[in-house]
Amino acid sequence: MNNIFKYSVFVIISLVIITGIVLPIPNIPALGDKARVLYFHVPMSWISVVAFVMSLWYAVRYLKTKEITYDIKSFSAAQLGFLFCVLATATGSLWAKFNWGSFWNWDPRQTSIFILLLIYGAYFALRSAIDAEEQRARLSSVYAIIAGITMPFFIFIMPRLVETLHPDPIINNSGKINMDTTMLIIFLTSLLGFTLLFLWVMNLKVRLELLKYRKSLKQA
Amino acid sequence: MYDFLETNSMYVVLFIVLIIWIGIFAYLKSMDKQIKNLENKE
Repeated sequence: MNNIFKYSVFVIISLVIITGIVLPIPNIPALGDKARVLYFHVPMSWISVVAFVMSLWYAVRYLKTKEITYDIKSFSAAQLGFLFCVLATATGSLWAKFNWGSFWNWDPRQTSIFILLLIYGAYFALRSAIDAEEQRARLSSVYAIIAGITMPFFIFIMPRLVETLHPDPIINNSGKINMDTTMLIIFLTSLLGFTLLFLWVMNLKVRLELLKYRKSLKQA
Repeated sequence: MYDFLETNSMYVVLFIVLIIWIGIFAYLKSMDKQIKNLENKE
């Protein structure tokens, strides 16, 4: 990845931070300025979905080809997905403190993301429990596929099936986006910026894991 | 001091978030450089 890409990520996210915090937003009942969290909270959630889908995709590729690089990519994507999922939970929880009165309310959204974190937590526990490389890669790939299939249910379906205090999703139940134009532009720029940031971090993570892997091969 | 923070709270938040972001970016850049060095050594 060249320097232009990295500095573009820096500029895009800096712009999102500045415009997202400084530019006025329309008065949204019961939310007010707290609605600005959507510029950061929703992209975190979006990236965790992208990362978990990537993890699933590389797991399938590993089972097809048995190439260890795919397992490394699947693992790296799951780790980053987990990190961004924690960030989505933390930003959501901070928002909940000021809007709902407490950090954690066991709202359906919070419960479903908590279960998702547990599912991927178990994935890392599974990986660390197996020493044999080929067996670890095979079993964790199967688990990553199962976890990846359950993910849309916890993020997209379950919170829409039950009553929740969480504000309407960006694309609401009637399939429309109800958002002020300026907010929508900042939000979409934020999605783009954080997705590019994720791709950069993913690239670093995979390269680092490949270095570790090659070093372990030399030592063996 | 408290009044200043209360009236300019948005700018205080902006300043802190920008500092954190610049720190994260610098960390990623330095990590990128270190990984490149290790790859070249191989």
